[in-house]
Order: sequence, then C-alpha cells, then structure tokens
Amino acid sequence: MLAIQGLVKVYPGPVSALQGIDLAIENGMFGLLGPNGAGKTTLMRIVAGLLEPTSGTVTLDGMEITKCPDLVWPRLGYLPQEFGFYPHLTGEQMLAYLLKMKGIEGPNRRETRDLCAALLDQVNLRFAARRKVRSYSGGMRQRLGVAQAIAGNPRLIIVDEPTAGLDPEERLRLYRLLAELAAERIVLLSTHIVEDVAVLCSRFAVIRDGKLIADTSPSKARAAIEGMIFEGEVTAGELDDLRRTRRVTEAILVEGRNRVRVHEPAGSPPPGFVPVAATLEDAYLVMMRDGNDRVRGGMVQAAPGGAK
Amino acid sequence: MSASAARLGLIYRNEFARTLARPLFWVLIAILGLTAWGLSSGGMQISSGNSAVGGTKAWITSEFANAKMFGLTIFCFYSFFAAILMGMSVMQDEEMKIGEILHATPLKPEEYIRGKFLAIMTALLVAMGAHIVLTILFNHIVPNAKAIEMRGPFGLLNYLRPALIFGLPSLLFIAGTSFAIGERTRKPILVFVLPVAAILVSAFFLWNWTPSWLDPRINRILMLIDPAGVRWLSETWIKVDRGVDFYNKSPVGFDAGFLLSRVAFAAIGIGAVAWGERRFALTLRGGGVRVWAAKSAAAEPDQVEAVKRPATLPSLAQLGMRASPPGLVRATWDVFCFEMKEIRSQPGLYLFVPMILLQTLGTSLVAVGAFDTPVLLTPGTFAVRTMGALTVLVCLLALFYTVESLRRERNTGIASIYYTTPARTESILAGKALANSFVGIVIIAATALGGLITILIQGKVAIDLRPMLVVWGLCLLPTFLAWTAFVTLVYSITVNRYTTYAVGLAALCLTGYLQAIGKMSWVGNWDLWEALQWSDMGTFELNRTALWMNRLLVLSLSVFFTVAAVRFFPRHDRDATRTVLRLAPSAVARGALRLAPFALPPLVLLIALWVSVQQGFQGDAQKKHTKDYWRQNLATWKNAPLPAITHVDLDVVLDPAHRSFQTRGRYDFVNQNDKPLAQVPLTGGTHWQDVAWTMNGAEAKPEDRNRLYVFTPPAPLQPGDSLRIGFRFHGAYPKGITKNGGGNMEFILPSGVVLTSFEPSFVPVPGYMEEIGIDKDNKYEPRIYPDDFYKEKLKPMIGTGAPFTTRVRITGPADFTLNSVGTKTADSLKAGGLRTVVWDSDEPVRFLNVVAGKWSVKATDETAVYYHPGHRYNVDEISEALQAARHWYSEWFMPYPWKELKISEFPANAFYAQGFPTNITFSEGIGFLTKSDPKTNVAFMVTAHESAHQWWGNILTPGEGPGGNILAEGMAHFSTILLMDQVKGERARIEFCKRIEEQYGDRRQVDSERPLVKIDGSRAGDESVQYDKGGWVFWMLLNRMGRENDLAGLRAFIRQWKDGPDYPVLQDFVATMRPFAPDSTSYDDFVKQWFFSVVVPEYRLSGAKSVPAERDSGWVATVHVKNIGTGTMPVEIAAEKGDRFEKDGKPSPLYKDARATVTLGAGEETDATIPCAFKPERITVDPDARVLQLRRKNALARL
Repeated sequence: MLAIQGLVKVYPGPVSALQGIDLAIENGMFGLLGPNGAGKTTLMRIVAGLLEPTSGTVTLDGMEITKCPDLVWPRLGYLPQEFGFYPHLTGEQMLAYLLKMKGIEGPNRRETRDLCAALLDQVNLRFAARRKVRSYSGGMRQRLGVAQAIAGNPRLIIVDEPTAGLDPEERLRLYRLLAELAAERIVLLSTHIVEDVAVLCSRFAVIRDGKLIADTSPSKARAAIEGMIFEGEVTAGELDDLRRTRRVTEAILVEGRNRVRVHEPAGSPPPGFVPVAATLEDAYLVMMRDGNDRVRGGMVQAAPGGAK
Repeated sequence: MSASAARLGLIYRNEFARTLARPLFWVLIAILGLTAWGLSSGGMQISSGNSAVGGTKAWITSEFANAKMFGLTIFCFYSFFAAILMGMSVMQDEEMKIGEILHATPLKPEEYIRGKFLAIMTALLVAMGAHIVLTILFNHIVPNAKAIEMRGPFGLLNYLRPALIFGLPSLLFIAGTSFAIGERTRKPILVFVLPVAAILVSAFFLWNWTPSWLDPRINRILMLIDPAGVRWLSETWIKVDRGVDFYNKSPVGFDAGFLLSRVAFAAIGIGAVAWGERRFALTLRGGGVRVWAAKSAAAEPDQVEAVKRPATLPSLAQLGMRASPPGLVRATWDVFCFEMKEIRSQPGLYLFVPMILLQTLGTSLVAVGAFDTPVLLTPGTFAVRTMGALTVLVCLLALFYTVESLRRERNTGIASIYYTTPARTESILAGKALANSFVGIVIIAATALGGLITILIQGKVAIDLRPMLVVWGLCLLPTFLAWTAFVTLVYSITVNRYTTYAVGLAALCLTGYLQAIGKMSWVGNWDLWEALQWSDMGTFELNRTALWMNRLLVLSLSVFFTVAAVRFFPRHDRDATRTVLRLAPSAVARGALRLAPFALPPLVLLIALWVSVQQGFQGDAQKKHTKDYWRQNLATWKNAPLPAITHVDLDVVLDPAHRSFQTRGRYDFVNQNDKPLAQVPLTGGTHWQDVAWTMNGAEAKPEDRNRLYVFTPPAPLQPGDSLRIGFRFHGAYPKGITKNGGGNMEFILPSGVVLTSFEPSFVPVPGYMEEIGIDKDNKYEPRIYPDDFYKEKLKPMIGTGAPFTTRVRITGPADFTLNSVGTKTADSLKAGGLRTVVWDSDEPVRFLNVVAGKWSVKATDETAVYYHPGHRYNVDEISEALQAARHWYSEWFMPYPWKELKISEFPANAFYAQGFPTNITFSEGIGFLTKSDPKTNVAFMVTAHESAHQWWGNILTPGEGPGGNILAEGMAHFSTILLMDQVKGERARIEFCKRIEEQYGDRRQVDSERPLVKIDGSRAGDESVQYDKGGWVFWMLLNRMGRENDLAGLRAFIRQWKDGPDYPVLQDFVATMRPFAPDSTSYDDFVKQWFFSVVVPEYRLSGAKSVPAERDSGWVATVHVKNIGTGTMPVEIAAEKGDRFEKDGKPSPLYKDARATVTLGAGEETDATIPCAFKPERITVDPDARVLQLRRKNALARL
C-alpha cells in the first residue's frame, strides 16, 4: 500500500503547492485528477523521491520513502510529465542504459538487447530502435519513456500525463499495458483527461490548489450526482444566461446549437432540459465547482462519496 | 525608436541583467579586486630602478607598469570568464528551450545575436571599469603604506590607455571567438578550448621564450601574434633597461605594427561574432542542413520495412524481466561506459590532444638553460618540467568536463528518470569521475608522446617511461582526483554550473596568487606547483617524506570531498524549510559527526604536515633560531677580528641512507692580527647534536650564544700565538623537510653528498656569519666604502686569511666514492660495508668540501670527472675542457700547484657549480645535462669557467670590498673566453662573448648600475655586471694592451697578491697591470671608462650601400654609424660577404671581409667608407666581438 499522510509542500515565495494530502492507495490503477497547477506533479515527484516535502510522510509497503527516497527507486517505474533523453544515443541504446541503471535483466543475462527489442515492440517503437533519439518525434519520445517506465517488475508505477503526444491507437495500447500492470501493483496515473480516469481507474482523487477535494471511485462519483444532470439545447444568448444562473457542466456546439448539460441538485432543470445519465466528467466539474465554492466560503467538506 | 532597435534593446537589457545576476560575474570582480589590492604592494614591478634603500624605484602607477599589469591580468583572468559568459549565452537559451518561442516573434537573428553580444561585452567592460577603479583605489586612495616608494602621481591616462590598448583588443578577441564557437558548435567543452589554448601558448611559450639567438624577424612575428601584447611590451621596451625615469614618466610608445595587431585582434573578435550571426541566421529555421541528413531520412522507409512488428506480442509478464538494484561496481562501470561514449563523441578531446602535443613538442624542443643554450631533456627532467603546464591544463579541463558531465542529465531533461533509478549516487559520481579522468589520462599520454618524440629527436638519452609514471602517476594523480572531487562537491552544493566555474577558477587563481607571493607551503600545495626537482641520481630524496605526506593529505581530501559530494549531490530537490532546520546546531553536529570519519584523516595529516614544515630546516622554528643568532650576536661579533686557520684535521663519517653524519676534528689557529685576541667565535649548526669541544686538548665549554660558540683562552692570544680547538658532534643534514619543496645547497642523501666549509653544515665556520638570520624585514645595505679603502690592508673575500693544510678522513658506504680537497693518500675498505678515504692537501687551500656519490669516473693523468653512470653524454667534452683548462691556465696565469684536479657531479637539488681547490662540484643540471653542440659548447664553457676559479678565487683570493668578486667571477668568464678561443676556435669564442653580452644587456639595471670598482653584489643587476660585464672588460683590456702584455700583467698580479696578508680589489688590479700597458694614456682612458665609470656603447647603422669602385674592379661600401650609447671605443666596421664559419666551426674559405675602424663617443656619428675587393652583402659592427655593446643584433645592415 502507498500511504500518504499530511503531505505539505511549500516552495519559497511562499507558494503552497500541497496543503496536507492524505491518501491510502492499494494495488490497482489510481487516478489523480486536477487542473493545471493543482499540485499533481508535485505530489508525484514527492512520491517518486525527487522532491523533499515540507512535512508529512509517504510510505510504500511500510517503508518511509520521504526520508530515504532510495528505498523507492528499486521499486519504481516513473514516467514524468516533462523529460528528455540523451540525444546522441539511439532508442535502443538509451533504453539499454536505463535498464542497466535499474538493474533489469531478461531471463538470460546476455539478452539485454532482446529485452530492449521486446519492450520497444510493446510501445511500437522497434522500427526506430537504431535511430538517434534526437530524431524522434514527441510521440516517439513519449513511447520510449513508457517503455522504460514499464520495464522490470516495479511495485509502483507513476505516470504523469502519459498519453500526451500519443495518437488514439497508441493511447489504447498504453491503456492495455497499464491495465495489465495494475493488476498486481500500484499504478498512479496523473491526468487532466477525465476520460482516462473513467476508463482505467478503479479509484481516483481530485486535487485543487494543493488540497484533496475528493477521494472516490468513478461509479460513486457518478452515483453522487445521479438524477441531477439535465441536458438540453439553447441559443448562444441563452447559454450566457444559463451560465450565470445554473451550474453548467458541459456546453458543446452541435449543428449550430449549444447542447448544454447542467447540474441541478434540487431537481428543477431549465425548461426543455431532460434528465440524462451522469458522466464522470459531470461529477468532476461539479467537484471543481463545489471545491472552489467551499474554499471561497472557508469551508472544507468531505467530497461526495470520498474518504477524508 | 524603431521596432528593430527596440527588440535589440530588449534582448540587450535582459541579457545584461542576467549576466550581472550571475555569481560568475561577481567572482571575477572579487578576483580583480584582490589582485589589485595584492599588486598595490608592488608585486608586479618593472625590473628597473635603483634597488638601494632610498633609490628611485619603478612606479607601479606608471603607464608602463599598468600596461604590463593589464595585459597580463586581463588576458589570464578575463579569458575564462569571458569565454563562459559569451560561449554559453546562445546555448543556454537552447537548454531552456526558449528558442522556439523567441524566434517565432518578429525578432531577427541579427538583433538577437547583437543584443546578446553587446550585453555581455558591456558587462565585461563594466568589470574592466571596476578593475581600473579598484586599481586606482588601492594605488592612490587607500594605498599600501609599505609601497610608498613605488607610487607616482595619479594620471588617468596611465590607466586608461593600457586598458584600452592592451586589454580591450584581447578581451574582444577572446569574447568574440568564444561567442562564435559557442554558437557554431553548441558544445560547452569546445568553448573552453580557446582560453585554454591561449593561456597555454602564451604563458608557457610566447611570454617566456626569448633566447638570445632568436632571429629578430621571428621575434617580431611572435610579438605581433601575442593576443595580450605582453611580448611586444617586454621585447620592445622592458627587456633592455632604459632607466627608471623613463618608465616612470614616459608614455608607452606604440609602433604601427603593434597598433595594427591590436586592431586585428579586435577585428577578429568582432568578425567572429559577425560570422556567428550569419550562420545563426542561416541555420535558425533549418537551413544549412547537409544533404547526407536528407539521405538518411530517405533511407528510413527501408529500415521500417526491414523491422516488422511481430503479429502477437508477449505480455509483459512473459518477458521474464528480473530487477535487482545494480551493484556499486557494475553501475559504476555502466556509467563509465556511457560517459566515455559521450566524451568520444565530442570533438573537444580531438582538439586538445594535438594542441597539447604541439605545445609540448614546441616548448621542449626549444627549451633553454644556462646561456640560452638548449637543454638536454631526460625523461625525468621532462616530466617535472611539464608538470606545471599539465596541471593547469588538466585542472581546467577537469573543471569543464566534470561540470558539464554532472549537468548532462538536467540539460537533456532525463534527470527525473535517471535519478529515480536504483543506481547508487556513488556509482553515478564515480563513473563520471573515472570517465572524465580519462581526459586527463589522454592529455598526459599526449604529453608523454611529445616528450618521447623530443627525446628521440635529441638522439642522446635513452627512452624510459618510469620517471613519467612516477611524476605524473604518483605525484599528479592525487592532484587530479582531489580536484575533480572538489569540483563535484562544489557543484553538489551549488547546483549551478556558473557558480561552480567561478569557484573553481577562483580556487586556481588563489592557489597561484599564494604561490606567487611566497605564502605557499607543503600544507596547501595541492597542485605541487614548483615543489619538485627531478634528479636522475635519486628520486625526490630531499622532499620524499614531505611529498608522501602531502600526497596522502591530498588523497584523503579527495576521499572526504567525494563522500561529501555523495552526501550533498542533488539527486532530489531539497525543501527550503527543512534545509533551514538542518542548519540547527544539533542537526549540523549530527551531519558533521557522520562526515567526521572521513574528515579526520586529512585533518590529522594536515596538522602533521604543518608541524613538520614548522619544525623543518625552512620552518618557523629554524627561522627563530637564526633570528636569535642574528639578534644576539650582530652588534658584538660583526667584523670581529679572527685568527687564521693553519691546519684542519677532520674525521667525517657519512651515513647517506639516514641523511646523517658524525664529525670529529680540530682547527689549528694562529693570531695573524696586530693585536691580541681575547676570544675566538665559531658558528655551529642548529642541527648538531651532542656537541663537545676541546681547547688545546682540554675539554672546553664555550659560551653558546645561539650557536655562536665563543671560546675564551686562559690568556689572550698574542700576535703569532696559536690555538687548537677540537670538536665532536653528529646530526642529520638537512634536518626535517623543506617548506615548499625545491632544493638545498648542501645535503646528505642516499643519492649523493655535498658539504662545504662555507656553511656550518658539517664543520664550524670561524666567526660570525652575517647572512644568517637576514630576511626581507631586516636586510640592510652593505657598507659604503670610501674611494681609497683599498689602500688599507684588506681581509680576504672568503676564508680566514692565509691558506691552510688539511687532512680529511671520510668514512662512508663502500659503494660510494668519497672526494675532498687535496690528494688521496689512502683508500681502504672496512668491515660492515664501509670505506675510509684520506685526503691530504699537497698545497695549502682556503676552503674545503666533501662530496660523495655512486659515480663512474673518466680519468687522465692529471684530471678526473666523477659522474652519474647515466650521464655519459657530455663527459668527454667536460674532461677535454678540464684538461685544457689545467694546461692553458697554468701557462697563462700560473702553474697549477696541486696534483689533482677533478669534477664531481651532484644531484640537482641545487643548480650551481663551485670551484673548490682540486674538487670542483657540478650540479647534474649544469654541464652534464646540456645539449652541447659545436656552436654552443656549453659543457666546455661551464667547465672552463669553474676550472678558472682554481686560479681566480683559490690561488688568488680577492679582497673584501666592492669590486672584489669581479676578480673571481669576471676573471673566470674572461678565462673562459681565452680557453674557448684557444681550444674551440674563434667562432665558439665569438658565440660565447655574444651570449654573455646579451645576458648583460637583458639583466642590467640602468639606474642601479655602478662602476665596476663600486660593485658589491647588493643591487639588482650586480650579478650580471660581475660575471658578464666583468668578463668582457677583462677581454677588452687584453685587446687594448695586447695579449702578451696582458697575460704578463696577470701573472705578475697573481704572484704579487696570492699569499696575502693584504688581498686585492680592482683598484689594486689596475695599478698592477698598468706598467705592462704599452700606451699608458690609452690604458688610463680605458680604465677610467670601464672600471671607474659606467659606459656601454650601442651602435646604429643607416644609409648602408655599396657601389662599384671608380678606379678598379672592386666595390666601396659606405655606411653611417652612430653611437647611441655611451663610452668611446675604437670599433671595427666590416663589409662582409658569405658565411664566416662552416658548420663545424672552421673558418669558411668563401668568406670575405674588409674593415675600417671608427672611434665614436656618446652620441657621435660618422660615415665609414670601406673599400672592398668583392661585392659585399652586409655591414657589421665589431664582427670579432671585441667591444661590449648593447643590442648588437641591430648593428647590422644588409646591402
């Protein structure tokens, strides 16, 4: 289990990146949702042992890794949000070097090259194995990053915005890989794509302004607002009014008309709106608004369906 | 303001602010400030002026002084800072990935490049401005009180002109080319190539290599290619002293060539920026990419086709991957292999290797020693000689390579992934350090290759890699390890590339500064700068203990730095709040305790080494002893009358393996003074132990006044009375270690022994020794003698009076040869592997020595050369010279009175030769290791000089007083001139005369120089006057008087003065020689000019031409001659054709000349007409080198 208790991170400024995060994460895929600047990457870097928190602890299977980050590294596969590689190496050489640094071998010690080839196959990068990394596209670099993250038998995999730069086919391939891995280990997935969490994660947390505002599962999140989401079409002028008076969770343009979804907990939707099934995105947007309001109002309440 | 100017201004302001915010910039300012403060005490003065107390000194505030200072400091200090700031400026934007955003705006490439360059250049000019202000501050506003004599009035132009003419062009050159290199290559290592190369070439070649035989045209070229302008300044204005008034008050006169070269350097810098700008514009949007890149892209489809994905992929679990944290060694190896790949892929190494190879070869092949003659390099001397350049180069490279290596992960963006692998920090740092040290190994290998090639070209010395392995492997390796560990630690703490560069460069500058001002000792000499002296006869024997301790200290420091670096390495970002908490005393104490096991060994070694230095023979303890000796005895015993020694009887036991000796002996004295002597003082050594005395056979306890032992006989010694003082003691010599390496004049070492009666090393010295306890704080000027001082009876310059007989029994190891003065009368082997040799003086001597070594010997009937078996190279020439000297000096001056005449070689712990009676000692670096050739004959030259001291110094001892030493040293040089002429021929003689003349011209101090009769050796330049000018004056006197007359006079002089009790000085000499002069008026004129005045001609030719003769088939050469110097001498002007001598030194039959003689006084000029039977090619003043003159090379006109 990955246990995070009272995690606080304050940067000089001062900037409070994390304001006391408590999470208990078991095996499986765990999602971290939140807007840009919420503190997701800060949290991930602390768990990965790259950043020292101001206070709080993080333990992995009982080992405290905040004071001794070198305890987590043998058990970690990490794909950061922003990263690079040594440009003069080929993809194969780069991967092989990282495998050596991680102490990862194939069944036969002499087959590191074969292992690299197999891993590159997993991410559909074998064709470029002998090309220098400097000639890789953004998506190819991302895939190479995925390859090194999934290598070995890491107890904990942290992937920060893993699908950035990937085309839909590659996204699906990555999802399959991560799902396979999550069966027997902790996979911490940070993303602002709600769809990814909905598809992959059995549980997720929502962070905003460094605070945990939800710790729940997709089904519970949806259930919490079931019967409160209504959908209808409005004109552009009406949409503006609606935004002022209602809690709009989605507004997309369809054939020149705005199809809008609103959250109406009291059950009195605008005229012409019909109830629809709540999506995780609806739930996320409601949490964002609720969290914001609660923060503005000085109240911090338990997120719907979530543990504290 | 136009939009373009506005954009340029934005880039400029941003870059300027960023540069000013860098610690690197402020470290440069700090270094400049410290330098200005340090130099305000006179650390960098023009070598001119009167060094006497109250004499006019060269001002540090003059334009000349500032030109030298700014030229050197701006080039040496600013280069690296400018290169880093300029070269990295474009690269840094690339690393920050701001380029794409920046250049997707209307910003044009030229606005970007110019804005950056101008901004950084402005910052550098601000630094230069601060440098000028700080210099003015410390020179004029808050000056050093001790340097009052060296300060002149304030003149702003004295600072501005040198800064602008010397400093600005070199700054533009370095900055501009670094900018272009950085832009072009985008590789930090290559940015550092230029300043490293520039410093290497300038400091170790351009600024120092000025042999007298260098063609003036080549010299001129070298002056103009020096980016700092220092060589031009030195060669044009400073090398030949023009008088302190000139330097203090005149502006520096610039010639057109020099100014053009300054403009050219500035233009190169600016041109490099322009080229970089053009290239940047071309490649900014992908232009300028070569065709082969496009081809490789086109090849990709084939590659894609060739590598097809399998139809079904195994699951991850099926891959069977196993993970275990890599071990320390394995991970280190993996990191090392990767780093090596990175290093090999960069062009830096491939540039440094040929650069160092060229530099090594260049400086080694032209290395010069005594008399500007080529040095014979052995592997050991080469290894030590190149240590300085190697250390500087490798430390600089290690700084840059290490920092860039440590930064690589952050620069490439892989840090987050890389640092979360389980590879240990120790492995990462060790792997990087090992790979970076490979750079040092390659540089050392290139240097070794250069050395081996040099030795092969020399063709005399055998190849041997062991000295290089010892010097560079054992001695330098700890330096590089410690330095790399230090740089790693600094980076780990600062996590900033520029700050690390700044600290590294500051550390190097500080080390150099402490060395320059003499404050360095073994304790701080981590780079072993100038600490080692190589001897082929024994490896670092004098300093071995200190060297071991120093190297262990440095190694232990490298371990400590490494552990600390691992501790602080920023593998994960530390929290600011927790960092503050970590500074709490308890946390600091806990951290310190963790590091304590690694800090303890260097601390213990540091203390032990410090104590050893303090207690050593150059340490503070010894200084106190000598100061107490001086303080207690100066007033009472200086110039106290002494009895003369009549006989010395010694038993000396040597134990070279333990650096120890035992002495038992006695001195027989007689009072040769007119008055009784109540007391007799003897100076003993501070290293003596268990000292026991007898007086007239009975045990005596003299008064011990800090090792001045004062004997009081029962009754005062009446004139003619005798006294016998016996002594017994033992000790080690020298005791303890040196302060900062180097050598010692006398020593007992496993490789050799040199002991003399000049010092209280193994025997007491009669009287109070004035030089003991004197340092720069209490040094006083010598006595000023009245003009008629010579009319009184003078004591001998050295020794106690009349010569004495000696019997010296030396016992030492059986494999040693044990030499002393006189004749060997017994030589026997004893039990225990010992030998005892007895030396008896067959004729009285005035001083004695004991020399021992494991030698081979080349012996003739009358001479012997004892030499190290590995130094056979010049032994034949030395032996030839020794025999010739004995023969010809006996004929010219006086028959040699002793039976033996020998030379003994000693290890290069000191660099001198001494002419003791019958037993001349030569350092291995003199004569034995010179690259003697038919033109230079250095081995012969040095032997001839030292042999001459048997006559001039031993047989004839000069009197104590001004001019006395010229009768020893000047006469020795004069004798060498005669012997060269006799044995080696006229060319060799002319060559020798020219070299010592050039030496005199380089070293004379116009304001300090006094007439020969006043020279007492106390002023700067006196030594060259004594040796070089003295030799020349005696040579010119011989030519004036006629050879046979002169030699007859010399023989009479020796006969008259050799036995005392009055000892001669120059006034006595000229009086004795006068009757032998055929023309006494001419003689008096010569003597008045050359002995009683200071004159030296300098001739210039102009308007030289030759036309066919009107009447016959010959030619007429005409030339205008002017004496721009002083003195009036008849001098020959020769119209010449062809080379005068062939390669073997014999006169060439094709040579022709015709001559005329002119006599010109100071400032006088005339036209000389020389009829020739041939068409002359050139006109030369004094072709036979018979008139001493300045800048002889300029007294030549080609037709």
